Amino acid sequence: MADKSNEAPVEPAAEEQKKQASIESLQQFGQTNVASNESNIFCLTIIGQIEGHIVLPPQNKTTKYEHLIPQLVAAEQNQKIEGILIILNTVGGDVEAGLAIAEMIASVSKPTVTLVLGGGHSIGVPIAVSSHLSMIAETATMTIHPIRLNGLVIGVPQTFEYLDKMQERVIRFVTRHSRVSEEKFKELMFKTGELTRDIGTTVIGADAVKYGLIDQIGGVGEAIRELNQRIEQRRQQLQSGGVVQ
Amino acid sequence: MTVIYSAVAPETLWEGLGKEPQYVDVNINGMNMQVEMLNMQQAKIVRLYSPNPNDYLNPAYMPGTVIEFHP
Repeated sequence: MADKSNEAPVEPAAEEQKKQASIESLQQFGQTNVASNESNIFCLTIIGQIEGHIVLPPQNKTTKYEHLIPQLVAAEQNQKIEGILIILNTVGGDVEAGLAIAEMIASVSKPTVTLVLGGGHSIGVPIAVSSHLSMIAETATMTIHPIRLNGLVIGVPQTFEYLDKMQERVIRFVTRHSRVSEEKFKELMFKTGELTRDIGTTVIGADAVKYGLIDQIGGVGEAIRELNQRIEQRRQQLQSGGVVQ
Repeated sequence: MTVIYSAVAPETLWEGLGKEPQYVDVNINGMNMQVEMLNMQQAKIVRLYSPNPNDYLNPAYMPGTVIEFHP
């Protein structure tokens, strides 16, 4: 009798290796790798706090800007990637980091679609509107409130001025990249009587679309369909030799 | 000055500040990266320092990946 292991075809061994890799990934990330490297869509997820210049305490779930920025550069430069899908479920975070990410997304030449699932609060708002097409799930919320300065007491008029300028940057970005007017956005931002701890507003799904903040209601299916449509359009433009965007 | 614009209350956000893990810079297969040492043999990737954009799309060096050192 020949040794059974010698007769084993190559196929199951490769299959076994694949399985092993997927188990390894399951142990490391708590998830399996679903997307393959061949996808022409680059998916960027922005979750938890947006972390900037200061490392936040470990109980915070964070998205770090030093991770996202080179990925966006790679996605823009890589020939195989034709579109970028950004999925947001964030509670806000560092203003500088958030605006940096938003500006990066806004300046990408490939089609971009953002989808707000769960929440896109505070500095998540400019990121949500930075793409070519923004979408929000029906139950997702966005909290719009004034910028606070944590851990420091406003003692001098200059501090207040500085804070006001930071706020102005956010307002300017949002009004430039969405259909919402400055008056409406400021009205939402400074509304009293809706949030218990703060002044501001929580807008849910359809309201965000009604105010012109977000383009349309949708889920992952619609987002990918829209992205594919834009990719197709861009391909045709490139083939006809036209200038893209 | 860091300005945080978040829906999370500041006391929750900053709770436990100063207890961040210690990071070390290492070079693995010619690539510089910052890692968090888990024990003598294992380390978790925190961030990459590569100037090559494609390195950031490589799943093997994704932040959070645990790498092992074999003496």
